[in-house]
Amino acid sequence: MWKTESRGIARAEEAVKQFLPPCQIKCPINEDIQRTNVLISLLPDDPNLAKEGIIQISDYLYNKNPFFNICGYICGLCELECNYKARGGAVRRRLLKRFLSDCYTDYLKQKEEFSIVKDKENVAIIGGGPGGLMCAYVLSKKGYRVTVFESSNRLGGALWLIPFYRLPEEVLKTTVDNLVRVAGIDVKFGAKLGEGKLTIERLKNEGYKAVFLAKGTPYPRVLTFDGEVVEGQDLSGVMYGHTLLYEVSHGNIGPNYFKGKKLIVIGGGNVAFDVARTAKRLGGDVTVVCLESEDKSSRDGIPADEEEISAAWEEGLKIIYSRGVKKIIGEHGKFKGIDCPKCTSVFDEKGFNPKFDCSECIDLQGDLLIITVGQVVDRAFLQREGLVDERGRLVVDPFTLQSLRKEQVFIGGDVRRIGFMVEAMKEGMVAADSIERYLRGLDMREGRKRDYEGYGLPLRKSYKPETEVVWIPPEKRMHFQLFERGLTLEEARAEAKRCITCGPCVSCKACISIGFEKSLYPVEVDRERCSGCGICVYACNYNAAHLIDTEGRILSATDMFKCKSCGMCVVACPSDARRLVEDDTEQRIAKVVASL
Amino acid sequence: MGSYEPKLVCFSCKFGWGYLNDEDALAKQIKNWVPIICSGKVDSSHILNAFRQGADGVLILGCRGGDCHYQDGNYEAKKRVYLLHKILESYGIEKERLRIELSIDPEGSRIPQLVKEMSDRIAKLGPVKKIGERAKTAAVV
Repeated sequence: MWKTESRGIARAEEAVKQFLPPCQIKCPINEDIQRTNVLISLLPDDPNLAKEGIIQISDYLYNKNPFFNICGYICGLCELECNYKARGGAVRRRLLKRFLSDCYTDYLKQKEEFSIVKDKENVAIIGGGPGGLMCAYVLSKKGYRVTVFESSNRLGGALWLIPFYRLPEEVLKTTVDNLVRVAGIDVKFGAKLGEGKLTIERLKNEGYKAVFLAKGTPYPRVLTFDGEVVEGQDLSGVMYGHTLLYEVSHGNIGPNYFKGKKLIVIGGGNVAFDVARTAKRLGGDVTVVCLESEDKSSRDGIPADEEEISAAWEEGLKIIYSRGVKKIIGEHGKFKGIDCPKCTSVFDEKGFNPKFDCSECIDLQGDLLIITVGQVVDRAFLQREGLVDERGRLVVDPFTLQSLRKEQVFIGGDVRRIGFMVEAMKEGMVAADSIERYLRGLDMREGRKRDYEGYGLPLRKSYKPETEVVWIPPEKRMHFQLFERGLTLEEARAEAKRCITCGPCVSCKACISIGFEKSLYPVEVDRERCSGCGICVYACNYNAAHLIDTEGRILSATDMFKCKSCGMCVVACPSDARRLVEDDTEQRIAKVVASL
Repeated sequence: MGSYEPKLVCFSCKFGWGYLNDEDALAKQIKNWVPIICSGKVDSSHILNAFRQGADGVLILGCRGGDCHYQDGNYEAKKRVYLLHKILESYGIEKERLRIELSIDPEGSRIPQLVKEMSDRIAKLGPVKKIGERAKTAAVV
């Protein structure tokens, strides 16, 4: 069984200007997708040995991304840009990571703590969600003494609002609890900044030299129509989706809570669908009403993921598209129904600005109304701390995430801009880098901007079809257990093998990490021998070999960023003009042949 | 003839053959074995040279069709073997002496076995005449 090495020559390199596989560019934290796909494809059959391999691969991922077990359930942004999409389906990277996670989550509980010498400044992290924890993780590994101030009694932030049928409670809890343990991060629970005496000023006085504010969006957005708050949101029977998800995740809502009830869920985002599918699992008869149209490709298309919509549809939810809510109707203080005019357009040049045709209205009756139209930040707190401008917007440098009002404060995650989990994680990483620069007195910007360029699909004779994702049939999944089946070892290996490793070698080095190759040999062209025939161009599957015109002569050359050192051009060259520098294959062959 | 043991050169792709095993341990079991990063990297001249230097056979083990880490190296190797068969026959070298197998064996335990099987078949053909000598004999005739 191989052993992976990630130091020295086997370290995947970072550069200011860099080629990467498109999946790694799409991933906000540029995870080493290609490298780990190659290693998964080389896992052994024997389950115990495979486990050893999985832990090696996972430890490598964990070093950069301590949330990867969670990504394996809920992310998959990388798949959107996979080159294989055009050839039968993206490589199922999310499921591959879930495959690792299925084994690694258990291992995490006994993972040894990092040995870190904590000899740097105290840093306060406000909010224990993915953004805050990521920042804490990076800084703690660098030797900063980090304390996370979490307002609730558990870490994970908005991740707790993801229903357990998508992200199991055990995976989430194990990941966040062990993250702070392994990285040696202090956590103060029930510590709500802005309440009582806990202020940024006080943190400063207590010796925290920098603060990362990642408080997220703790409040639900209220329903509006034509710029006005729709009345009746205080009626009995009207609630916010957030509240429901929060209570369900705390186990405060029993099964069949909504049995026999007719529910209307307002909203067209992923959270609205989480709410609707949760309500359905609690026995309700659920109808989703959203402003957006069914056509996802249009400007006014529904923002929820295709998978969410089809899953909801399978589970028997009704979806009413292109409808707004003009009025909430109540009777004796109790919710009765809503008045829904047709929405003719959602976005215009200025952005979100819905238009309605009130002559075409429908009445919807129900027992409960659940509003899930977004989340908002704690504006009053930000104002009190003086972090916003006169229009109430955060004053922060979007590149460094440094507050322009208080230099020791850095702001990121949902509180700055609502996004995916991994986007908040990215902001945590950016903030950690900024805090390090700020505290070390370094330039805040120099050398940080990276320029990535993607790779196209390499040429090959045949492409393989994608692995099917298996969901438990809808009639059997009306519970809060996972509804998606994970990959088996064999399936994972086959799926990882599908990855055509379209990215460059320098950012991967899987082969070097397990000793297949000693280094990435550059191709050298002998200018005297090269006839410029172009056979190497034909032989190269990566568009690396190409012809150049030098001093009136056509010669072949190799783009070292695209070259994989496979030696295909060397073999193809009829004039023996190409060789791989420092590659010992020729000598090894010569030695064997000479000994005959 | 009875004690004749054919000399076989074996190339094997690292992504398909023996990657879970210790290379040195395997090398003790397989004579004249050259693990190589991709079967597509085995040049025609490597093969012809082996025959010239007295190899009685050459076995190339590539990864499974469609599995090549470098897209189509195994396919290229297969094409090359097909063309070389024609050339070898023109030298009077039986095409059975050059063989390619595209498959997967992470443990590499099948490699010695495949080498043995091929050796047994070649033993029946007898030793190969070196390419140069054949040419000389042909010229004399």
